[in-house]
Amino acid sequence: MATIAPGPTTTTTASLTRTGIVDCDVHVYPRGNDEIKSRLSMPWRDRYGGGGRGFFGNPVHGSRLDSNPPNGGPVGSDPDFLRKQLIDEYGIAYAVLLPRAFCNLHPDPDFGTAIAAAFNDWLAETWLSEYNPDGVFKGSITVNTQDPVAAVKEIERWAGHPHVVQVMTDSGARAPFGQRQYHPIYEACERHGFRFAIHPGTDGMGINVQPSPGYPTHYIEWHTCLSLAFQAHLVSLLTEGVFVRFPGLGVTLTEGGVSWLPALMWRLDAEWKSLRSEVPWLDKPPSAYLRDHVRLSSQPIETPDNPKHLLAMLDLLDAEHVLMFASDYPHWDFDSPTHAFPRLPETLHRRIFGETAREWYGLE
Amino acid sequence: MSRHIVSRTSELPPGERKIVDAEGRSIGVFNVHGRYYALKNSCPHQAAPLCLGAIKGMTLPSQPGEYIWARDGEILRCPWHGWEFDITTGRSIFNPHKTRVRAYEVTVEADLDDETVETFPVTVEDGLVVLHI
Repeated sequence: MATIAPGPTTTTTASLTRTGIVDCDVHVYPRGNDEIKSRLSMPWRDRYGGGGRGFFGNPVHGSRLDSNPPNGGPVGSDPDFLRKQLIDEYGIAYAVLLPRAFCNLHPDPDFGTAIAAAFNDWLAETWLSEYNPDGVFKGSITVNTQDPVAAVKEIERWAGHPHVVQVMTDSGARAPFGQRQYHPIYEACERHGFRFAIHPGTDGMGINVQPSPGYPTHYIEWHTCLSLAFQAHLVSLLTEGVFVRFPGLGVTLTEGGVSWLPALMWRLDAEWKSLRSEVPWLDKPPSAYLRDHVRLSSQPIETPDNPKHLLAMLDLLDAEHVLMFASDYPHWDFDSPTHAFPRLPETLHRRIFGETAREWYGLE
Repeated sequence: MSRHIVSRTSELPPGERKIVDAEGRSIGVFNVHGRYYALKNSCPHQAAPLCLGAIKGMTLPSQPGEYIWARDGEILRCPWHGWEFDITTGRSIFNPHKTRVRAYEVTVEADLDDETVETFPVTVEDGLVVLHI
C-alpha cells in the first residue's frame, strides 16, 4: 500500500478543534493592480497589466452580483465583507484561498514566475497575516509550471509557513501533468508537505493548449469542458507513476468536475488489465491510488433533476473519502453550503463538509 | 391577505425595483413598463437574493445562428447563477412549469390621506404601490 500522505501539519490538538465547514475553493483578489505591481521588481513592474484569461468571459456575469464590497474595490478584495458574506454567514471554519494570478499563459517564463511570486507575497502579507488573526484563511501559493526549476525555488520560499497548505497552478498547460518535466515540483511539494492543487485557468490561453479539439465557440462549451483538462491530467498523473515516485504527494483537483470520475476510472482500470505491461510500475489498478493521493473539490457539483441520482454518484465516486466541499466564492457559479447538495447521510455530510479536508490539509 | 404599502408610484418609476420586508419575507417589487409586479426575493435554485439581479431582456428561441432580442425590462437574472425569470409571472425561462419563484399581487391605489385628492381618480397620478401577501 502507498503511504498515506502527511498533511502540512500533522499535529492535532484536541483543545483547538474547530467545528464548522471547510471551504476548499475561495477566491481572493488584490484591491487593485498596484498591490501586485508594488511586489514586482523591474522590469516586470512596468510590464504587468493585471488581466485574466482575456476571452471566454461569462456573457452574463463572472461573479455574484451581491459580492461587490459595499465600500468599493473588486469582488473578494475586502476581508471584512468576505467574512460577513461567507465565513460568518455559513460558519466556515477554514477557507482555502486560491488567488487567480493566471501566470501560466505568458511566453516568457521569467515573467510568469515573477507574477506568481508577487501574488504569493501579496497573499502572505495580507490574507494570510494582516487579515487572518484567527487563522481562518489557509493559502495556496501559485507556481508557474512552465519553469519547474523556478517553481521549486518558489515552493522553497514558503516551506514551513503556518498558513500555506498547498501549491496551486492552472489546469492550462502545454503537456499533461504526469510527465517528468514537472516532477521536481512534486518532489518539492512532497518534501514540504504541500498538496498540489490544479484549478481551471489559462487552458488554450497564451502558450497553452486547449483540451478540446480546437477552440469551442461559446462560454457554455468552454466552461462545461473545463473538466476535460482535469481528466487528462489525472490519467497522466496515474499512468506516469507520479504517486509511485512520490508516495507522499497529494493532488487536489479543484473545480474540475466530479461525476466524470467513476466512469473514467472504470475505463482506465479496464485498460490497465490489458495494458499493465506498458506501465509496469502500477502494481494495482489505477483507481486504487485515488484514496491515498487525490481529492476533488465539489463545486460546481453536478445536479441531476433527481437528487437520488447524485447520491448514487457520490457513492460510485467514493465521495466519503475523496470529495471536499467548495463554494468557489465569489464567482457566479457559487455553491451554497446550505443549498447545493441534497440532504446527505450524516457521515457523508461530515466527511464532505470538513473532515476529509481537515485530514488532507492537516487542519485542527 | 394583508396589504403593505411599498412606496409612492412616483418613487418607483419604470425599470426600477424596491426590495421590502413584509411579514418576515423579503420581496422585490418591480415596475415593468408602468405595471407593478412582486416576486419573492429568494431564488428557487440555491436561495440567492434573486431580486438583486439584473433586469434585462432575453434572447427568444430562434434558429441556430439567429439572435432575437426581446422583452427588454421584463426578465430578471439571478445575481448568482444567472437563471432567467419572467418578472411578470415569476416563471423561469428554461422551465416555466416547474421552476418558478413565488409571485405576489401588487395594486396601485389612491392615497386617501392625501388631502389634495378630493375625488377618487380614474387615473392615479401619484398613488400608492400596494403589495398583497
